[in-house]
Parts: sequence; C-alpha cells; structure tokens
Amino acid sequence: MPASSTKQRFGHLLDGLLPVLATLAALAIGAIMLLLLGVSPIEAYRAMLEGAFGSTNALAETLVKATPLLLVGLGICIAFRGNVINIGGEGQMIIGALLATLVGLSITEWPGWVVISLGLLVGFLGGAVWGAIPGILKAYFNVNEILSTIMMNAIAVQTMNFMLRGPMIDPAQAELASKIPQTARLLDAFRLPRLVPTRLHLGALIAVVLAVLVYILLWRTTLGYRIRAVGQNPSASRYAGINVKQHIVLALLLSGAFAGLAGATQVFGVNYRMITDGSATGFTGSAGFNGIVAALFGQLHPIGTIPASIFFGALLVGANKMQRVVQVPSALITALNGLVVVFVVSSEFWRRRRQRQRLSVVSEDEEEKLPLSMSEEA
Amino acid sequence: MNETELIRTLASIILQAAPLMIAVCGETITERVGVVNLSLDGTMLMSAMTGFVVGLKTDNVWLGFLAGAAIGALFALIVAFGSIRLRQSQVAVGFVLTLLGDDLSAFLGQNYTRIPGPVVKFMPIPILKDIPILGPLFFDHDIVVYFAFALVGLTWWWLFRTQPGLHLRGAGERPEAAFARGVNVNLVRYLYTMVGGALVGIAGAAYSLDVKIGWAEGHTRGLGWIALAIVIFGGWSPIRGAFGALLFGATKALATILQRTFPEVSVVAFNSIPWILMILVLLVVGSESTERVIAVMPRPLQRPLRRLLRVAPPMALGTTFGE
Repeated sequence: MPASSTKQRFGHLLDGLLPVLATLAALAIGAIMLLLLGVSPIEAYRAMLEGAFGSTNALAETLVKATPLLLVGLGICIAFRGNVINIGGEGQMIIGALLATLVGLSITEWPGWVVISLGLLVGFLGGAVWGAIPGILKAYFNVNEILSTIMMNAIAVQTMNFMLRGPMIDPAQAELASKIPQTARLLDAFRLPRLVPTRLHLGALIAVVLAVLVYILLWRTTLGYRIRAVGQNPSASRYAGINVKQHIVLALLLSGAFAGLAGATQVFGVNYRMITDGSATGFTGSAGFNGIVAALFGQLHPIGTIPASIFFGALLVGANKMQRVVQVPSALITALNGLVVVFVVSSEFWRRRRQRQRLSVVSEDEEEKLPLSMSEEA
Repeated sequence: MNETELIRTLASIILQAAPLMIAVCGETITERVGVVNLSLDGTMLMSAMTGFVVGLKTDNVWLGFLAGAAIGALFALIVAFGSIRLRQSQVAVGFVLTLLGDDLSAFLGQNYTRIPGPVVKFMPIPILKDIPILGPLFFDHDIVVYFAFALVGLTWWWLFRTQPGLHLRGAGERPEAAFARGVNVNLVRYLYTMVGGALVGIAGAAYSLDVKIGWAEGHTRGLGWIALAIVIFGGWSPIRGAFGALLFGATKALATILQRTFPEVSVVAFNSIPWILMILVLLVVGSESTERVIAVMPRPLQRPLRRLLRVAPPMALGTTFGE
C-alpha cells in the first residue's frame, strides 16, 4: 500500500515517540508544581539530568538503582505472560534478602565467591518459595493471586521487622539504646565485585545476562512456550495436554525467584547488610512495585525491560539530586515519579490501542492480546 | 475482662469496621456491575488526605466527606474510562493508580501531617442507646457508624430488590443479554463504578475525620487491599461483606488483646494474624476442596454450608463490553 506508507511511517514514528512525549508531559506538570513551590523548573530539571547521567558516578548510580528494577521486572515478564499478576515483589525481595543475609553472616570460613554464589542462590530459592505459595493457592485453591501476593508482602515485612529487631540484630546495635533495626555487616570478602571504581557492582551484569536467558526461556524453550500458552488461553492449553495448574505455579515461582535474587543482590552488592526503617519499603525502596512498572513499560519483554529499568533508575537517582540541589520536599519527588509512571504507562496503553486499530483494518479479530485481563479471576 | 470492658471492646470493633463496611459496599457495587477497581488502596489514601485537608480548611467535616467522595469518584472514573473507552486492563490501570494515590497523597498532604483537625461529632441516639447491651454496641456512636449500617441495607435492597439493581447485576453477569433487554451497559458501568468509587472515597475520609483522626503519610495504607479481599469473602453481597469487615475488626482487636496477655510472644506473630486469616478465608471460599468437604456432610447441612462457604464472582467481572 504505497499510498499510506508515509502515514504509516509517521504512525510508527509517533509510536516510538509516545513514551518520550508522555515523560515530557509529566515533567511539565511537575514544572508547574515546582513553580508553585517557587523553584525554577529549568534549574531543577538540569540538576535531575546531571544527577542521573552527568558523570561516571551518576551513571553508575543510575545503573545500581536500575538493577533490582530489572531483576524484579524479569520475573514480572514471566508472570504476566502467564497471565498471573504478581504484586508480591516486595515480599519476595525481602525474604530473598533475609535468607541471603543469613548465609553471608553464618558462613564465614568459606571463600568469598562461594559464599556470594550460595547467598544469591539461596535468595533466588527463598523468593521462589514466597512466590510459589500464592501460585499454589491460585492454581489449586482458586485464591486470587493479586490479593494473596499483597498479603504475603505484609507477612514478609512483619517477618523482616521481627528478625532485624530480634534474632538477626547487629550485636553492636543491640547494646545501644537506639537499636537501629539492621544486621551486622558482611565480611569485606563477601561483597559483589565492583565493575568500575564506582558503586556499580557485578549484579548489574548478572541482571543483563539473565534478561537474555529469560528471553530464551520464554520464546525458545518448551517451558516458556507453555507458560505463555497458558497465559493466552488456558482452555486451549488444557486441551493440548498442558498441565495448566502446574504452569501457573511455575510462573509465579519463577517470578518470585527473580525478585528474591533482586533482594539478595541488594545485600551483597549495595548495602552489605540488611537494614530497614520498619516500613514496607524501607529495605526495597519500592523496587518490588517499580519493577512491575518497568516491565509494563518494557512491554513485558525481558530485553525491553532493560532500557525501561534504566529509565526509571535514572528518574530515581536524578530526582534525589534535584531534591538536594533545589531543596524541594522529598514528597514532591515521589509525586513526580508517580506522575511519570502514570503518563508513561497510559501512553503505552494508547500505543497498543493504535496498534490494534491498524490491525483491525486487516481483520477485526487479529488483536494483539497481551495477557493482562482479570476475566477469569477469583 | 468484665462485661463493661467487653462491650466497650465490641463497640470499638464496630466503629473500626464502619469505614471498611462503606468501602466494601462501594467495591461490591463496582464489581457487581463488572468492573474491578483495584485502585482502592490509593483511592482511600487520596480521599483520606483530601477529606482531612478540606475539612480543616473549611472547618466543616461534611465538606471533607464530599471532597473525599469526589476524589473517589474521579479515580473510579479513570478506571472505568481506561476499561470501557480505551479497553485496557483494569488491573494495570488500577495498580498504577494505587501507586499514584500513595505518592500524590504523601506530597499534597505533607504540610498537614500530625496536626489536629475537625472531627465528626459524637451522636448517641436517645432512648435506643439505653437498651441494655445493644444500645452501647450500636446506638452510642457517631453518624459514620449509622451511615455504614444503613448503607449495607440500602445497597443490598438496591442490588437485589429493585429494577435498576437488576440492570446493574445484568451488566456484570451477562452484558449481552442486558444489552438486548435495552440496558445501556457501558453507561450503567460508568455510573455505578463512580458511585462505588465515591463510597470508597467516603470511607477514606471517614478514617481521617473519624476513626483514625488526622493525616500522616500512608495513613490508611493496606486497608484498601483488605477491603478488596473482604469483597471476595463477602461473595459480592453487601451483608456478608459487612460481616467480613466486622470479622476483620474482631481479629485485629483479638490480636491486640492477645498481645497484652502474652507480652513474651513477639508482636510480629500477632500483627501477621489478620493477613494470614485473610489468605485462609480466601482459600476456603474459593477452593473446590471445600465443595468436596461439603458433599460428604449430612444432606440438610449441605445447602446452608454451601451458601456460607462457597462464592462465585459476577460472570463478566473484569471484561469489556463492545456493542
């Protein structure tokens, strides 16, 4: 159709630009808020850009923040492709991190790389268990996984607060009156190696490698095919001989495992201990939730989730710098992040809608159907 | 614990459960019409903040409630618009709105944290409050509690005993059939999603103006999710949902009492009880194993047990309807 090719090309260009436009729109609203607070938006946003990309250090910080988002996001890709909604990333991260910390603190004689690998593995497995529980509840007992994962988050937070204030508290803190809920520091040998002389650690590289592996898993293996088939059409999958319940559990289990690994990576790569302020997000920094958004932004594709995570990582780091430079309340930063998230995700919806409209010219029924409906819920 | 203490505890459970009952009624209406408004947690935070600030600025709690209702209806409108007009996943839209409500309420309400504000006036009902036991339990409260109970009855009556209620449920069960009978399915869905959202907003404002007075970041965090779980436990019926809300309140009160009785046991164990209980409850009402257990029960028990323990969602819940 040569007549419409220009229009088509323009359409594709618009699709590509939509997330950028959405970000700009959100930042424009943020600019109005900044003006109301009596701060120059230009100055503020310059600080933000500098904070996220301005130097090697800034860039490294962005990638450090992006790492847990990517890991959680990879798990979300698997779950959502299997049409199970995992909102339990927070809890799975916490459990993974708790177990990894236990490994790091209790085994002190073994060589560093062994303990680190073991810790990451245990974190991975811990998250897998925490994810598998709602998976089993959904597959075999028909319990809505959105709600059960939320409840599992609450239980994980309670467990963390108990462990960090009780059995796992730093002996030094236990003697002080302040009693900051944190564990002892890991041995220096148990730190994930750094890539460049910044805080950027090996975990970032691991996450990128895993993104490729998840892509292979989902699109090049039978297991991945089955998870996606169950997500697209459970009845047809059952007819084709796939054990639907088993694959629902597997999707949530894998999803939880990646979140658990994200938690373990935070311990071995960033904090070198587990610490919390007692709230749900005190340890995770909301990565368990933001990872969902990153995955949605990356169109539930593991490779697409890489740039999406970096984008949101940059937003977090840049916003921090902006707060320091122009002295705005920290709540504005969270609000600004929230706005960007809403605009970007809704632009994504709009893009898919346009895509469907184009497809519907060819056929009414050939809709690109991402497995994200709650039609067979509860 | 003596008798007066017991009655006081029970009365406080009822007060604590009242906003939850209102929110559950709202979401029940929304889901009965076929829409899942997953943004409850964010909506309640936003409306709790807005209700408190408006109440404080105007020194009028009723305007606070009105503002809360408006915010709730607005959030619900976004969910409805995303689902009906843009045909997007209600889950994704609702979830993103949850995050936004949390963040935005923290930002917009930052100058109003932990300060005294207006409070709903205590309003015992004369004569009725002097009935032994029932009086102090149900008639020695403020208007939020009375409204919650009236709303439960009204919602049940509207859903199951009126023509518009039939259309409402039709749009949520079999939209095609309802459409064929002349119901404007999408209009009905817009309408009741917003009505439900407004009630959730009132529930949020009821926290900051009455039950948990004041505002702080994350003031009602978690309660929206609890409400969503109670809607399922309630089998999408406002009366059962109200019992669910009371049951949840009772568990929390019980946890507090147990904690006082056994101070040597970690707080964590008690704090986790309500959440674990919610999972178990969802497990019982949703599981097919429950059906198998009921099947081996004596025959006369089967029907009431099934009514008590088994629930099914509206058939078209979460789906879009194209005409």
